[in-house]
Amino acid sequence: MTSETLPKTEDAVAARGLTKTYGHDSTRVEALRDVNVSFERSRFTAIMGPSGSGKSTLMHCLAGLDTADSGEIIIGGKNLLELSDDQLTEMRREQIGFVFQSFNLVPTITAKDNILLPLSLAGKKHDRDWFNTVIQALGLGDRLNHKPHELSGGQQQRVAVARALLTRPEVVFGDEPTGNLDSRTGAEVLSLMRTSTREMGQTIIMVTHDPVAASYADNVLLMKDGTIVGSIQEPTVATVTEALASLAE
Amino acid sequence: MLHVALSNIKTYARRYIAVILAVAIGTAFLAATLSVNSSTQATLKNSLGDAYKNADLVAYPDWDLVPGAEELTELGLKDIADVRNLPEVSTAYGLAYADGLLRTADNSYGVSAQPVDPDQGLGGMELIEGRAPQGSNEIIIDASHAEEMGVSIGDVVALENGAISPANYNIVGIQRSTTNPRTSAYALAGMSEKAWQHFSGGQALITEIVVNGDGSDESLKAELEKLFAGKKMADMAVVTADEKVLNEVAQFTGGTDQLSVILLVFALIALVVTGLVVVNTFAVVIAQRTRELALLRILGAKRKQIRSSVLIEALLIGILASILGVLLAVALMAGLIQLLHVMVPEMSYAALALTPQGLAIPILVGVLMTVVAASLPARRAMKLAPLAALRPFDAASVKNRAGKARIIFGSLFVVAGASLLAYGAIQGDLVVAFLGGLVSFPGILMLASLFVPSSVSGIGKAVAGKSTAGKLAALNAVRNPGRTTATATALLIGVTLVSMIMVGGQTAKASLNNAVAAEFPVDMMVSFYDRQVSGAETKSMLEQINGVDGITASSSFNSGYADVDMGTDEMFNAEVMSVDPTSFADVALDPNIVPADGEIVYVLGSPENPTVEVGGQTLAVKNSEAMLSGNIVTEQTFSKLEIDEANQYSGILIKVDSDVNAAGVNELVTKVSAITGVESSMINGGVVMKSMFSQIIDVLLMIVSALLAVAVLIALIGVANTLSLSILERTRENSLLRALGLKKKQLRGMLATEAVLIGGVAALLGLVLGVAYGLLGARSALASMGTMTYEIPWWQLALVLLISIVAALLASVTPGRRAAKLSPVEGLAVE
Repeated sequence: MTSETLPKTEDAVAARGLTKTYGHDSTRVEALRDVNVSFERSRFTAIMGPSGSGKSTLMHCLAGLDTADSGEIIIGGKNLLELSDDQLTEMRREQIGFVFQSFNLVPTITAKDNILLPLSLAGKKHDRDWFNTVIQALGLGDRLNHKPHELSGGQQQRVAVARALLTRPEVVFGDEPTGNLDSRTGAEVLSLMRTSTREMGQTIIMVTHDPVAASYADNVLLMKDGTIVGSIQEPTVATVTEALASLAE
Repeated sequence: MLHVALSNIKTYARRYIAVILAVAIGTAFLAATLSVNSSTQATLKNSLGDAYKNADLVAYPDWDLVPGAEELTELGLKDIADVRNLPEVSTAYGLAYADGLLRTADNSYGVSAQPVDPDQGLGGMELIEGRAPQGSNEIIIDASHAEEMGVSIGDVVALENGAISPANYNIVGIQRSTTNPRTSAYALAGMSEKAWQHFSGGQALITEIVVNGDGSDESLKAELEKLFAGKKMADMAVVTADEKVLNEVAQFTGGTDQLSVILLVFALIALVVTGLVVVNTFAVVIAQRTRELALLRILGAKRKQIRSSVLIEALLIGILASILGVLLAVALMAGLIQLLHVMVPEMSYAALALTPQGLAIPILVGVLMTVVAASLPARRAMKLAPLAALRPFDAASVKNRAGKARIIFGSLFVVAGASLLAYGAIQGDLVVAFLGGLVSFPGILMLASLFVPSSVSGIGKAVAGKSTAGKLAALNAVRNPGRTTATATALLIGVTLVSMIMVGGQTAKASLNNAVAAEFPVDMMVSFYDRQVSGAETKSMLEQINGVDGITASSSFNSGYADVDMGTDEMFNAEVMSVDPTSFADVALDPNIVPADGEIVYVLGSPENPTVEVGGQTLAVKNSEAMLSGNIVTEQTFSKLEIDEANQYSGILIKVDSDVNAAGVNELVTKVSAITGVESSMINGGVVMKSMFSQIIDVLLMIVSALLAVAVLIALIGVANTLSLSILERTRENSLLRALGLKKKQLRGMLATEAVLIGGVAALLGLVLGVAYGLLGARSALASMGTMTYEIPWWQLALVLLISIVAALLASVTPGRRAAKLSPVEGLAVE
């Protein structure tokens, strides 16, 4: 992986002076106001905040899916805001992984092909051992030749996690990854994600509004009105709920 | 539900542009066809009806009234006088043309003379200048011929015909030229009835009596019929001028208007293809609105209301598109007729005629077709469960249920049609084969869902190779097999028909060429039937002909009739051609037809005996498949024969370079005609026939291909439409791929691949079917002619494939660009 050849910095992802506004004049919304944030390598971070706090916008910008108006975002030694669309695309497929709320698997191809998709889009071969490791860890061994509609929601999301992990990206972004799952399956997926940070050294950033999900993270960032207003180390359901309640005041 | 339908159309206007375009083109085709028909009729009425323009009734002897009659009533001036004496008749004149020659100081012209009386409507003529003829030596002449002959009022011309000796006539007036094709070829002169009586010498017949009356047509008609009954003229028909014109138009066009029938067939093909495009568009649009429609059901819409909402949409779109189509057709026809007026001023009587039916029928058909085509998807929408609104709709592929009935009937049609086709091809029976085609093609279309998606997916996999985008494109292309089948089928129909015509035409051309070549043993043959050409003159002609570029050899011949005794009881007369064996060998295409001395090469029949007695000599028979005007002997043999003096003539045979093409042959014919003084239409031979066949077939091919191109165009609009709608449907998925690392260029490439796969495979299947139908059809039509030569126009077929692929590629450009422009975040947010 290219990420291994780059000089390792302390942080997997770092953003400075990020601003982003939508609309004009009366409809103007400041989604991000001068956000400065960094995410340590091999840590599982949750971003929380009320609706409209800018948590999704922040994640989309950090993931190179959306562009910020000003500031810089450094992943793997590169500033995302200075990259062309093609370079950004390559960045996404090599150094960034995604897990979405609605799974977002390509329905026409098998689970295995879905997992391999980012690599095959880049025209690269996969590391067989790593593939087996990931599949084993996620318990997908006997589901590889099924099409997405033949899988349960939990299985689909595990495929999505495997897809995100397979490229050994600098960072995996999760957008409410358990939002469409029942609590038991959700817990399963979250444990898998936490395991991957502990055992595989994967950096994960997750947006969620569910205190239970956030409690699986190493660290919770709190957002309100487009800025980061606090953080909780080693969160529990109780501390997160309390912090959220105080944000709402 | 009207307001729902209206707001849907407004909201999704862009999705309907293509379908409106397709329906409009299809309807325009139909409207233009009907307008060609009515305009032809109107144009003919203008010209054929010129003589009856201001008439009430026309009386004429009609064979049909007295079945089995030996002869018709011969009308005379006396009969006209009787008509004029009837109380209700205001004017009456006879239409009668006495032909003759009109001599000016410099030249002579053909002329038709008609009796005219200024008190009796002047024989339907309109004076533009001068006055009506009165004296026995006065005439009026039509304007355009007067100009052509360089005569005007006050000039004196001489008229003569077989009945009278030349006499001088003064031109006293100029009348408007007629546009009636029956009389406009000759100069039309009008003279007083008395003068005409003299000029015609009682030879010319009065064909019709044109009558105007004071009262109603009915009472006038009754009066005339009574008069004719009294005169025992049972065969006299009395009709209104309009009826008479219609009658003549029908006679002129042979009763049915074949052009219109042929055009209607093509219009029908275009409409079927349009129907498929409509079915597809509505199916896709409804699939995309599944949630919305289901929501309406949740909110209390009944099944029927959902269906009528869809049908109302179809109805509105059908009406809009059909009216657009008809306007398009009217503009097109008006433009064409205007063009005709400018390019051919003599055709100023050509008229654009729009009948109410001609406008209403295409609109009705267009609307009906749209609604019927939309009713299938509408029924599917109706069956939607309300719960579908809540269910995430992300199925990988829609199962394609080819109905059992459709497969059974399709198979039956294919088997029955193919058998008929095979029988027709073997027996050389075009009617049976045509029927076979008519039955088997719909059968194949019914079974299309069995082979189109699998072909697309098979070829897609093969072409995609290792590229992921390519593989995804191949999968997407057959994601909804029903939709893919309908899209591809529309294109397949057009391509099959175009390539069938191309292959059939090419094979017909090649077979006719070979048949002609086998029969005509020489390339070009000039015969001096009507004049004596001396040996010296012939020699100088041969020299000039040999000097022409593209001519490789020439030889002269003499021909005469001799008595032939084949050993049977009867003697008969046969044509014998004498040739110089050395120079004849250079022009003969088949070396076997060159005779030796004492030998006769038989080209007219094949006697069984080894020898025959010709012109008193016993000659050895050599049989040949070739066809020429006479049996061939050498000059030496010919000189010994007893030849009938009366019917001898000479001529020249010419060999043409094989590289000369059809246009070159025409040029050569013109040159040879100039050298020999023989009219070019009288020069025949193998290459002349070949070039004539080729040109006729090429022109037919071009016209038919152009007509079918409309169907192909509509189908390609369908491909673009399906693709852009499918892309819309897959917005989320495409955005996901972009998020996972698919570059913009790769995304555009993926969509282009999908379009090319559907378009290319449809074209390919169409070509295969077209080649098969073309070869079988050509065989059925031409097998009776003898040996067939099968030829496939590879280049033309490759061009059809290329056009389909390029068009599909172009069809993917706009939707591809739109998909690539969308940012992944926006796309992923789309429901």
